[in-house]
Amino acid sequence: MKITLVKKILADGSPCKKCGDVLQKLEESGHMSRIDEVLVADEREPNSAGLQLAKDLNVHRAPFFVVEKEGQDPEVHTVYLKFVKDVLEQSTSASDEALEIMNDNPDLDFI
Amino acid sequence: MSAELLNTVDIDSKLQKEPPQEILRYALSQFDNIALSFSGAEDVVLLDMATQIRPNIEVFCLDTGRLHSETYRFIEKAREHYNINIDVLYPDGSAVRKLVKEKGLYSFYQDNHQECCSIRKIAPLKNKLLELDAWVTGQRKDQSPGTRGTIPVIQNDRLFARPNETLTKFNPLANWTSRQVWDYIRAYNVPYNELHDRGYQSIGCEPCTRPTGPNQHEREGRWWWEEATQKECGLHASNVKKA
Repeated sequence: MKITLVKKILADGSPCKKCGDVLQKLEESGHMSRIDEVLVADEREPNSAGLQLAKDLNVHRAPFFVVEKEGQDPEVHTVYLKFVKDVLEQSTSASDEALEIMNDNPDLDFI
Repeated sequence: MSAELLNTVDIDSKLQKEPPQEILRYALSQFDNIALSFSGAEDVVLLDMATQIRPNIEVFCLDTGRLHSETYRFIEKAREHYNINIDVLYPDGSAVRKLVKEKGLYSFYQDNHQECCSIRKIAPLKNKLLELDAWVTGQRKDQSPGTRGTIPVIQNDRLFARPNETLTKFNPLANWTSRQVWDYIRAYNVPYNELHDRGYQSIGCEPCTRPTGPNQHEREGRWWWEEATQKECGLHASNVKKA
């Protein structure tokens, strides 16, 4: 299994805040060692590896994780806590996961 | 057909030109295990259209516990009018209790609506969608140009899919305007929530919804005390050149 993390650099050159938060959580939990590759989606560089991967996989937000297993299509995870639970197999709070989804997907508040 | 066989991007480009009825017809022809999300507002047009294609369509509704009494009455009216079962979903009681105990009943006026919505809407929605292969929403681009301007009519819903499986989301009204929705409601005498006659364009929970005045966007009737925040998680796809 190969896990790739794509983090984003904004058009003004500043790092994406959520990406920073996720990286910090990965470091603090010791899960960073499970990440095989970190790619950058740099909004100033259309050909940056992270943006190209996002385009290939039809992903419209960052950070996101790609999990590749032999003989299977790559899995994309855009919710950090769901990724932690489903891939890293660490228990997470349902409320925290729901809040992350709500915070990252403002279009859902009309549902 | 199973969801993994669908290329949602290609299909979306074709369905974008189709009316909602044809998008619904396509969705229902592709999936048996599909349900329609009904909010108790003007998305009743989807109920009207879908029941003409599949009279026993599965419908679910999120009861946050904070809806207007008019909305509860309308949900019941819709159930009777279309002779359908509506699966009314509720938030986890212990999560609501914890929130209210810690922050009171109106915490959203102090620290925004996301926490409350996540407990009362997102968590039960997430649990429901684990049961399904596809779902249908009443989301429209014109509801909030800032956050819904690019919604497709069909998409691979990675947020709520079961692990290692796919969930397909249909937004048949994506390209319809509020005007088109109301033209349909009036033309076909579709029942609607009485709050609409009192100036409510968009209807959600009672504490977070208010009537709007002339020339106000419907979004201004929801969470009006919150400042528009900069959303930075989206990837600006227009920056990505074709490889």
